[in-house]
Amino acid sequence: MDDDDYWNTSETKQKAFSFDDDVLSPQEILAISQKPYSGQTEDTPFSSTIVNSSKRNLIPLNSLISPKVLDLIVLAQSGKDLKEKIPVQLDTTTATLKRLILGRSCFIHIHRSLKRKTELLDGALAIGDGNAILAVVLFLIQTLNKKLVHELLSSRTVALNHYISYLQSERKITELTDLLTMLGRSPEAAMYQYQHIVKTQGNSVDGLQRKLNNLLSNNFNQPGIDSHSTKMLSDYIKLLEWQTCANKTELNNRSALDCLAYTCRSHWHEGAGKTMSPLTLCQRQQITPLQYDWVVLNVHANSGKWDVVESLFTTKDWLGRTIASFHIPIEALLSKLSELQAPKYLMTNFINKIQNSDKRLKLAHKYKIHSVVIESHMKQKDRSALTNYKMTLSPQSEEYILAENTLRDPSIKWRN
Amino acid sequence: MDQPLSLKLASLTLISQHKFELILSACGNELVLIIDPTLIKPLERICGVTWLRQHGVTKICKIDPQFDPTGNVTRAYLIPSCLIKYKCVLDQISSVLSQNTSLSQANCFHIIIVPKIISTYDSILESRGLYDVVKLHSFSWELFSLDEQLLSLELPFLYKQVFVEKNQSLLSSIAMSLWSMFHVTGRPKCILSLGNMSSSVLDILEVYKESYERDFVNTTGSPDIGTLIIIDRDQDYASSLLTPAIYSGLLSEIFNINCGHLDLNVKQTKIKKGQMNFKTDEEKSEKNAVITLDSSIDNLYGEIKHRHFSEVLSVLSSKAKLLKNEDIKALGIQEIKNFVTTKLQQVVLFKQNLVNHVLACETIIAEMNNKFENITQVESEMLNNRNKKANFTFVDDHFGTDIHIYNSLRLMCLLSLTQGLSYDEYNLLISKYLLAFGYKFLYIFNNLINAGLLVQPSSPKLSLNISNLSNLSDRLPKWQNSFQTTATKLKQLPQTEVGNSAGYVFNGSYVPLITVMCNALLSSDSLQEVLNKLSPLNNLKVGGTIMDQLKSGMETINEKLSNVSLQDFELGSKDAKAVMKLLKNDSKINGAFNIKHKTVLVFVIGGVTYAEIAACDVVQTATGSKIYIASDSVSSGSDIIAANI
Repeated sequence: MDDDDYWNTSETKQKAFSFDDDVLSPQEILAISQKPYSGQTEDTPFSSTIVNSSKRNLIPLNSLISPKVLDLIVLAQSGKDLKEKIPVQLDTTTATLKRLILGRSCFIHIHRSLKRKTELLDGALAIGDGNAILAVVLFLIQTLNKKLVHELLSSRTVALNHYISYLQSERKITELTDLLTMLGRSPEAAMYQYQHIVKTQGNSVDGLQRKLNNLLSNNFNQPGIDSHSTKMLSDYIKLLEWQTCANKTELNNRSALDCLAYTCRSHWHEGAGKTMSPLTLCQRQQITPLQYDWVVLNVHANSGKWDVVESLFTTKDWLGRTIASFHIPIEALLSKLSELQAPKYLMTNFINKIQNSDKRLKLAHKYKIHSVVIESHMKQKDRSALTNYKMTLSPQSEEYILAENTLRDPSIKWRN
Repeated sequence: MDQPLSLKLASLTLISQHKFELILSACGNELVLIIDPTLIKPLERICGVTWLRQHGVTKICKIDPQFDPTGNVTRAYLIPSCLIKYKCVLDQISSVLSQNTSLSQANCFHIIIVPKIISTYDSILESRGLYDVVKLHSFSWELFSLDEQLLSLELPFLYKQVFVEKNQSLLSSIAMSLWSMFHVTGRPKCILSLGNMSSSVLDILEVYKESYERDFVNTTGSPDIGTLIIIDRDQDYASSLLTPAIYSGLLSEIFNINCGHLDLNVKQTKIKKGQMNFKTDEEKSEKNAVITLDSSIDNLYGEIKHRHFSEVLSVLSSKAKLLKNEDIKALGIQEIKNFVTTKLQQVVLFKQNLVNHVLACETIIAEMNNKFENITQVESEMLNNRNKKANFTFVDDHFGTDIHIYNSLRLMCLLSLTQGLSYDEYNLLISKYLLAFGYKFLYIFNNLINAGLLVQPSSPKLSLNISNLSNLSDRLPKWQNSFQTTATKLKQLPQTEVGNSAGYVFNGSYVPLITVMCNALLSSDSLQEVLNKLSPLNNLKVGGTIMDQLKSGMETINEKLSNVSLQDFELGSKDAKAVMKLLKNDSKINGAFNIKHKTVLVFVIGGVTYAEIAACDVVQTATGSKIYIASDSVSSGSDIIAANI
C-alpha cells in the first residue's frame, strides 16, 4: 500500500483526528455538564483526602500475611541480623557477599589476599547487586595500589561503570579523568569534565569562559576527540564572548536562538556588523536559515508585526513579481501562523503560493480558508464537491454567498 | 485466604504502613517530619495526616534549606535514595549543629531513605563526623496499586540510575519488593526474564529467599500468579519512543502525572514547556484540577483510558447526552428525595469527571491535532525501514522549527535505532539542538549513547580506507538492520490492518515487546512452545518453581558462588536456549510443566508506558486471562529522555 492509500483507507481515516458530525463539540459537552472545576484551595503539603484506605475495604494485615512473615519482611528492610543468632562462617567470600547484598554490616577487611579480593569482585558482579559491587570496588581502592585496581577494573566493565558513576556523583572529577585517561578513554574523560563544568558553573559567563577555554586547549585538542564536539565547544566559547559584549544579565548562558530572539525584538534594525545586530549573531554562530526564519517569525508574530512576517517570506524576482521563499516547510509555517492567529489575508497569501493543487486544497480545508477552497473546486470544475462544501458554511455568510455565486456562474463548465 | 488477587495487591499498602510505623517509632515520640516534595503523593497512599499525628508526628513540612524547626525537636527527614538530596540534608543538619552543639547528643536526627540506604551513605556520614549523631533508616515501601491491574513502586529516579548512570544499586529494592509480594501471592511457577538487570534481580531474589527461607512457611495452595515476566526497559525502547495513539498515553504526553494523579494544567502543557519560549511575559501558574487515574474511582476513565483517541470524544459526548436526558426528566417529590439521597452525589462526581476529561481532550487536540498524523506516519516509516531520506528530512525540519527539548530527541533516537544516522546527519541534528537549547547540553548525546538510545555513527576519518566500500553499500539494496529483523520475527510490525491487533496503541504500526511475550505465553500449551516462539530474543532466561525440578543435585548458593565464572553464572534463572535443549531431551520434564495458568504479572525495570499497558489489555481479552502490569514507575517517552539530561 503506498502512503496516500494508507492515509485514505476508511480505517486509517477514522483513526486520525476527525470526528463525525453526531458527536458533540467539547464546548457543548461542557455546557451540559458544568463550569470547569477551579481546583483545590488547600495549601498544606499533605492533602487530607486519603485515597486508599477509604476507597475500599482492604484485607486486614493479620489475614493478609502471618505475623512471623511480616516480621521477616520488616527485618529484611532494616538489614539487621536475624534475632536468634545462627552460627555462620563469617570469613568466606560467599558469606561476605550475602551480607553485602542483604545490607547487613560485614567485615570486608578480612579479605586480604588478591585472590580473595578478586573472588569477591567477581561474585558481586555475577549476582549484579550494585550495592555489593560498589562496596567491593571501594574496598579494593582502599587496599590495593592504583595499578592493580585499574587492571582489575579494565576487564570488568560493569564494575568500572559503578566506579565511574560513583566518582561522578561525588564530583571527584580529577580522579575520574585520571582513571579514564589511564584506561585510554580520554575522549570520555573530556566529556565528563564538560558536563561537570556546565553543571557547576551556573550561568556565570566569566567562569564558564575561563574553564571552557582551559578544557578546549587541554582536553579537546587531543587525538580521538570527535571534531564536531570540539567545534561545538568553540562555538560555545564564541557565544559566551558575544554575551560578554552584550552585557545583559538576562542573556547570560542562554542559547544562541534565545539571544537571536532578543536581538530581533530589541535590535531588529541594527545593521550587519554591529554586535547586537541579528545578522551578526546569525553569522557568528552559524545559525541555519531555517532556524533564523523560525525565530524571526515567532518574535514578530508574537508582537503582531505581520508586515515584517510577510516581507520575510516574500521576495521580488527580477520581473518585480513577488515570489514566496520558504525555508520553513509550508505545513509547519501555516500551523504556526494559525496558532499565533495570523490575519486571514496572510494565510490566504501563503496558501495560494502552494503549487500542488491537491495539497493547497487540503491545507485550505484544514485552516478554513474558504476563498481558496471555493476557487480550487471551481478550477477543478467539481460542482458536487463545491455544493457539499457550501452546506458546511453558515448561511448568508460572505463565503456562503461566494460559493453560491460561483455555482451559478454560467461561464463554468462543470464536469459533474 | 481466598481473597481476589487485586484486593491482595491493593492491601500491600498495609505492609508499607506497618513498615513506616515501626520506623517512626524508632525515631522517637514527638517528631517533625520533613519530607521531599516528590515523596508526598506516594506517602499519601500509605497514610493520612491523622494517622501521622497518631504516630508521633507533630508537624509535617517540605524540605527547605532555609527552614529549620528551631529548638530541641526530633527531626525525621524523608528523602529518595539520591546522593545529592542526601548530602543536602546532611549540610542542613551540620549547620543546625554548628549553632546548637548540644543537639548532637540528643539523638534527634533521623533520615529515612526510600527505598534503601546505599552502601556509600554510611561512610559519607562517618566522614562528616555525623556517625551516631544521625540515624539512617531504609524505607522500602511495597508496590502501590495505582489502577486496576497496575502496580508501581513509584521510584521515578530508578531509570536514570540504572540505565543512564549504569549504577545497579537499586536493583535489590526491586528484588525485595517482589520477594515481599510473593509472601502474599505465592511464588510464580514460571519466570521469564529478558535483559541483564532482570536476571540480576532474580539472582538477588534468590539470595533473599535462601537467607530468610527457614522461617518461610507458605505455598500449600497454588500461587495466585502463574507466570512472571520481568524485562529491562532497554530491551524495547521503541515502545517508549513512539507517540501513543490511546487516551491514557496521550494524557501522559501532555500532562504531568505523579503517582497516578494527573495535574490538569491546560495552559502550561509538557509540550509547551519543552519548546522555545518567544513570549516575553511569563504566565502565572495556577492551581489546577487533579484527575485521579484510577478506574475504580473514576469509571469514566476506565471506559476511555485504553481507547484510540479518535473514539474518546464520541464516548464522552454520548455520556453527556445521557446526562442531559436525565436532567430533563420530570421527577415527583418522592423521586427527587430518592435521587438526592442516593444518586445526586454520584451524578455530581460524574459530571466533574466528565468536565475534566473533556478539558483534557480539548488540550490534547489543541496540542497534537496539527502534528499527530505526520509524526505517526513518519514513525511508522522508520519502524519498517522505508523512505529513510524523507524521514531524516522530516526530523531535520522538525529540529529547525518546532523543536522540543525532549520529544525532538525522541524522534532522533528512534530514527537512529531503526534506520541509523550517518555521521553528517547525526551532527546536523546535534548542531540544531544545541543552537536552540544551549551548547551546555552537548553531554546529553553521550548519555543517550550510554543508555542505548542512540547509536554513534563512526567518524568519516576513522573509516577513510573503507569509504569506497560504504559508497558501494549505499547503492546495494538495503538489508534490514537488526531492529527490523527481530521485530519482524516476533511479528511486532503489523503489515495489514487487523481489527483487534494490539498495535492500535501506536496507530497500527507496532506491537510492544511485552505484549508479544504475554501473547506467546498465553497462547501456548507448553514451555517449549513458548520458548520456540520467543527464540529470536537473545537474552531470555527461565526461572521460577518449575526450574527447581531441574536443579542438578540441589546446588546451593554457597557452592555456586564459590566456583564462580562470569560467563555462565546462573542463580535465579537459566538461559532459555539451554532449557530448550533440556526440554527436547526429556519429555517427562516437559509434561510436568503446566504453564496454563491464566494470571501473568509483567514487571518492567525502568518504567512502563500507558501504551504497553493498553496493548496487554488486548491480549488479556483475546486469551481470557488476567495480566497485571508492574514497574518502578509509569513513564512516557519524554521522561526517558529527560533522565538523560
